Amino acid sequence: MPRRTGLPPKPSSRNFPEVPLPAGTLGCWATGAGGAGGLSAAPSKPSVAPTSCPGNFPSRPLPFLPPLLASRNPCPWHYVHLSGSHDTFVATCFEPKLHRKRSGLTLGVACTLTDRASPAMATYTYTSRPRALPGRRRCYRDDQMQQAEEPMHYGNIMYDRRVIRGNTYALQTVPLPEQPDPAEIQRQQQAKRRALAKKRAQEELRPRTPEPVEGRKHVDVQTELYLEEIADRIIEVDMECQTDAFLDKPPTPLFIPAKTGKDVATQILEGELFDFDLEVKPMLEVLVGKTIEQSLLEVMEEEELANLQARQHVHEELRNVELAEVQRLEERERRHREEKERRKQQQWQVVHKHKETAQKIAARAFAQRYLADLLPSVFSSLRDAGYFYDPVERDIEIGFLPWLMNEVDKAMERSMVGRTVVDMLIREVVGKRLSLYERKEDRHSSLKPEDGLSGPGGMRDPPVGYEFQDHGASQAQRPLPDTDSLQRTPYDAMYMERVSSQDRKLMEEEDEQTNEEILQE
Amino acid sequence: MPLPDTMFCAQQIHIPPELPDILKQFTKAAIRTQPADVLQWSAGYFSALSRGDPLPVKDRIEIPMATQKTDTGLTQGLLKVLHKQCSHKEYVELADLERKWKNLCLPVEKFRALLQLDPCEDKIEEIKFLALGCSMLGGSLNTAMKHLCEILTADPEGGPARIPFETFSYVYRYLSGLDWDISASDTESYLSSLKNSIDSRKDGMIGLSDFLRSKKENVENLEKKTQKT
Repeated sequence: MPRRTGLPPKPSSRNFPEVPLPAGTLGCWATGAGGAGGLSAAPSKPSVAPTSCPGNFPSRPLPFLPPLLASRNPCPWHYVHLSGSHDTFVATCFEPKLHRKRSGLTLGVACTLTDRASPAMATYTYTSRPRALPGRRRCYRDDQMQQAEEPMHYGNIMYDRRVIRGNTYALQTVPLPEQPDPAEIQRQQQAKRRALAKKRAQEELRPRTPEPVEGRKHVDVQTELYLEEIADRIIEVDMECQTDAFLDKPPTPLFIPAKTGKDVATQILEGELFDFDLEVKPMLEVLVGKTIEQSLLEVMEEEELANLQARQHVHEELRNVELAEVQRLEERERRHREEKERRKQQQWQVVHKHKETAQKIAARAFAQRYLADLLPSVFSSLRDAGYFYDPVERDIEIGFLPWLMNEVDKAMERSMVGRTVVDMLIREVVGKRLSLYERKEDRHSSLKPEDGLSGPGGMRDPPVGYEFQDHGASQAQRPLPDTDSLQRTPYDAMYMERVSSQDRKLMEEEDEQTNEEILQE
Repeated sequence: MPLPDTMFCAQQIHIPPELPDILKQFTKAAIRTQPADVLQWSAGYFSALSRGDPLPVKDRIEIPMATQKTDTGLTQGLLKVLHKQCSHKEYVELADLERKWKNLCLPVEKFRALLQLDPCEDKIEEIKFLALGCSMLGGSLNTAMKHLCEILTADPEGGPARIPFETFSYVYRYLSGLDWDISASDTESYLSSLKNSIDSRKDGMIGLSDFLRSKKENVENLEKKTQKT
């Protein structure tokens, strides 16, 4: 492969000088076709063309024209593979012979070929590069691939060397050659056909390299039996130099610019070069300036701090004073509040007492007023009720009158008893007398009936009357105790009532008196 | 220029390592103190520095700078510096005091005028001198006492500025004694009234707020009295 890259330019420089030499020396280290290409290019070189035939130069089929070459493919060896060029070779009948025998014969054949072709070709003929029709199907895969790979190119005809420009009078006129022998032509054609067939057969027979692997490509290498040395190869010599591992990079030497100008020497005496006053000035400036600056700053800073502190102290002092004042005021306020409380309490007490007194007075007045009305009414009612009485009268009423009544009663009883006894005596007497009278009447009935009649009647009547009277008398006499008792009972009741009411009234009075006392208290 | 060997370039100049610090401190002090005559003040500064005395440096920058044209040129800060420099002893030599006065770039005439108020031989009590200076600072006795409190106090700036009541009463008596207008009985009554208010506290210190407010209260009381009459 490295050789491959170095080679492409070579053929142009190497092949042409070798043209007179046998082609064998040149060899074809690519393919057979490549070798043919290299040889066939030889006639195109101007230096060679005149030697063989100056006249037929333009008529030569020149597949490797420089412009074409440049535009087509940088590799001339590849070019040969083109199907188009293949046809060209076939037409010239050049390549097969070359292939067959490459030892010194090739040149001769080439010469004869050109010689032979020269009478057939006129002064000018244009032949475009033969090519296959695009629609035609290829017989061989190889060709097809090539076709696909390299599209058709057309050169600019104006620069085509085969195109004659300008006056044609100056051109060398060559008499048209007579018609070639048909037999000869036929023979030639036959030979051509045969060669073609042979070549095809050969190509078919030749084993082909297998398809390249994916991502690879076939490249031509020198596989000849006799390897040719490539003389102009650059001689390479291997040299080795072992360096120590991890050596530190030496420090870059100080860059000292090359001295320019002239050296001049001056004598300096001691003390001449250094002026202390002058030299010390910047230093002093720095010293003084820096000192002043710094001290100014420091003074300012300290002043600020001191000011702050002083302000703080003043503030603190003020605060202390105010605090004391606040405390004093608070104390005063507290005292005032206490005093106020005390006074309020006092006032409250006074007010309370006042109120109480007023209430008492009011109660008293009310009671007095109330009692003033009550007392006479009570007295009058009591008097009305008879609580206030004469003790003698009362004694008579209570003690004497009942005794008297009792005594009267007793006396009445005794008289009543006496009367009844008298009555009974009278009745008995009357009875006896009656019975006596009756017995007497029975003896005197005849003497005085009327008396009897009137007697009994008269007699009867008086008893009745008597009885009646007696009854009436007893009735009349009897009512006395009745009336007495009748009279006495209401009296007694009244008396009892009176006593009880009197008692009650007394009790009420007592109650009222106690009530009054309570009120007064 | 006595150089040990020949110098060729600026890099050879050696700066003493303590120089920048001294220079910085000095510059700061100068910026803070703002002396009228820097040279004289510097002499005083460095002599004090070399002797190890307290430096004539103000604690704070005083923004309303005293000009020696309209007023005495004396400020509270300067008085404080003087007090700081002299407070270690009770009595100070007049000569020493005058030197320090000069180092603070204050005019000597003022010093003399100050001493004329209370003439003395060659020594003066430091606290008295301070009181005189304070009386020169402000108009009234009360402002003078205020300045004195602020100078003498150990409280931080802006604080209550408390000083012991003994010192206060001593200075107050001294200053009021110099003033012909104030009678001794007034002074005593004022001091006793102050003492009553101070005694309520235990530390026996009097602050600015105490006597300034009491003064205000006194004024108010007086006004009330006048209104009543």
